[in-house]
Amino acid sequence: MVADFTQQIRDKAKELLEKGTVECVIGYETGSDGFSARPAFIYESAEVERLIFDNTCSHNLVKYLLNKKGKPTAVIVKGCDSRALNLLLSEKQIDRDNIFIIGVVCPGVVEWGWNNHSDQLQIRCNWCRQHNPVIYDFLVGEPVTEGPPDDFADIAAMETKSTEEREAFWREQAEHCVRCYACRQACPGCYCIDCFVEQLDPEWVGIRIAPEENLMWNTIRAFHLAGRCISCNECERVCPVNIPLSLLNRRMEREVLGLFDYRAGMSEDAVAPLITFMKDEKLGIGE
Amino acid sequence: MTKIIGKNELESWLSGIMKERTVFAPTRVDDLILFRPVRSANEIVFDYENTNLSPKELFFPRTETLFTAVPKDGDIELTPTIVDQEVILFGIRPCDARGIAILDGPFLDEPADSLWAQHREKTTMIGLSCTKPAPQCFCTSMGSAPNDASNVDIMLTQVEDGYAVETITEKGEKLLQGVELRESDVQPPVPTCDVNIPAEGIVEAITKMFDDPYWSRLADRCIHCNVCAYVCPTCYCFDIRDRTDKGKTERIRTWESCQSKGFTRIAGGYDPRADKGTRLRQRFCHKLLYFPQQFGALGCVGCGRCVIACPVNIDIREIISDVQKIGAEVGQGSN
Repeated sequence: MVADFTQQIRDKAKELLEKGTVECVIGYETGSDGFSARPAFIYESAEVERLIFDNTCSHNLVKYLLNKKGKPTAVIVKGCDSRALNLLLSEKQIDRDNIFIIGVVCPGVVEWGWNNHSDQLQIRCNWCRQHNPVIYDFLVGEPVTEGPPDDFADIAAMETKSTEEREAFWREQAEHCVRCYACRQACPGCYCIDCFVEQLDPEWVGIRIAPEENLMWNTIRAFHLAGRCISCNECERVCPVNIPLSLLNRRMEREVLGLFDYRAGMSEDAVAPLITFMKDEKLGIGE
Repeated sequence: MTKIIGKNELESWLSGIMKERTVFAPTRVDDLILFRPVRSANEIVFDYENTNLSPKELFFPRTETLFTAVPKDGDIELTPTIVDQEVILFGIRPCDARGIAILDGPFLDEPADSLWAQHREKTTMIGLSCTKPAPQCFCTSMGSAPNDASNVDIMLTQVEDGYAVETITEKGEKLLQGVELRESDVQPPVPTCDVNIPAEGIVEAITKMFDDPYWSRLADRCIHCNVCAYVCPTCYCFDIRDRTDKGKTERIRTWESCQSKGFTRIAGGYDPRADKGTRLRQRFCHKLLYFPQQFGALGCVGCGRCVIACPVNIDIREIISDVQKIGAEVGQGSN
């Protein structure tokens, strides 16, 4: 099945580059361990043989479209990645006319790691209800029936802990954080020209790489992604010290789902609840 | 003759040291292995490949106060940071020890960095040879070896019934005073790191292909996080800022990286390395061109951390090979 996916992607990429529909195809190729996928940028039709697709194709390539503004580009998206496309389209960050979307019905992705030949699915695949891309120009694979709604069992389990236990847990995680910002750099929803964490006036977060500042960084980032996170969980995959960021992001996701019945990135003209005010909206404050 | 210390003797020696001094050793923290202070030998992981973060942190902390300033009698009183804690760094790998020795170049070059100098003086390093280098390791190609004892105070190499002990420096000798070592004719194994990366002549090659579009193509893939720099035992860039709280001001330095946007932005907003390609090239030119030009050694020790930690597989080993290839082609073209 996967070999067939690879062939279909190569054929389509070749056609798009030869016809001049796009300048570049962003896909996956085999990495330096000879096993795990890594992002690939194909500019010449002669190079399409580099492209692959398999269950190590973890990266959310949509992020790279932000570097390709104004340039016709094709991108390969899995289900979760396709929601990031919708997020960026609805937030007017990318131009639909310049993008050719090759959607892939996702078989699930395995635990990623250099030379790590794991066959264990990533945790993101446990809660995934979007194996089928929500937006595409060309689809690879047969759409599958999605599972029942997510029960957020991981979040519920976290909530059985006392406030003190949770505080201790996050303090420990904050000790590990080195503020390398890999989470932000991998995230398709993090595209601010000047991230709050690097602003000097006002200085929202101090410069120290220390628990207090690290907690502030991770918490505010989670708030900025509330109602915007599309659950690709790339932030958690790329974290060099394995901070379980999904516990923060999914806590916010569940809140937004409960309050507004809203999941980010499901359509390209979605009206996101936290950046919109409806005239008849109930504030729940002072009423 | 080889001097041997048994596993039990080693543990009781370390336990003795722990009573008087702080011992940092590789220990398990969640699913990571990190150098942390340990209070008992049981906490030490002896058979690890390499720690997730390098021990450079003990000499160049992720955050360190340079001095504090407080108003006093109409003037300002400055108090520099004094490092008074004696530290034993147990279980450092030869690649990481080489990383620290290499950083003496920039940090101890006049005017010397007093904090680095103090950390160096207060720390005794007990090295641990690698018995089985990991797949990402390439220390031999970078001028070291899995049993390289040249940058530690004491070197241990695992043998069947304990550890072979080599005393390298006076500091090491002092620490071993009174410890019973057994004489044995056992020859410690000589582990090898078989990965061969063509680093010879890299300075010339990278100079030749400096303007090659290779860098901007590679930068397509780079997401410009700081993971590589922060796991690296030889990256030493930092930022400095003042922090005032309740009338007391601290001048703080923290890790920074050339991959950050704005790292080279100057007053007026101009940034000489504004695009991704020049930023990425800087990382590799610093390690493979500028550092050897200034300080002699290559600025990479082959620990392989960046190879496995990079979220998008920017692999320095692959880059060294590519640079050699492109450098040779460019060289031919100009003849």
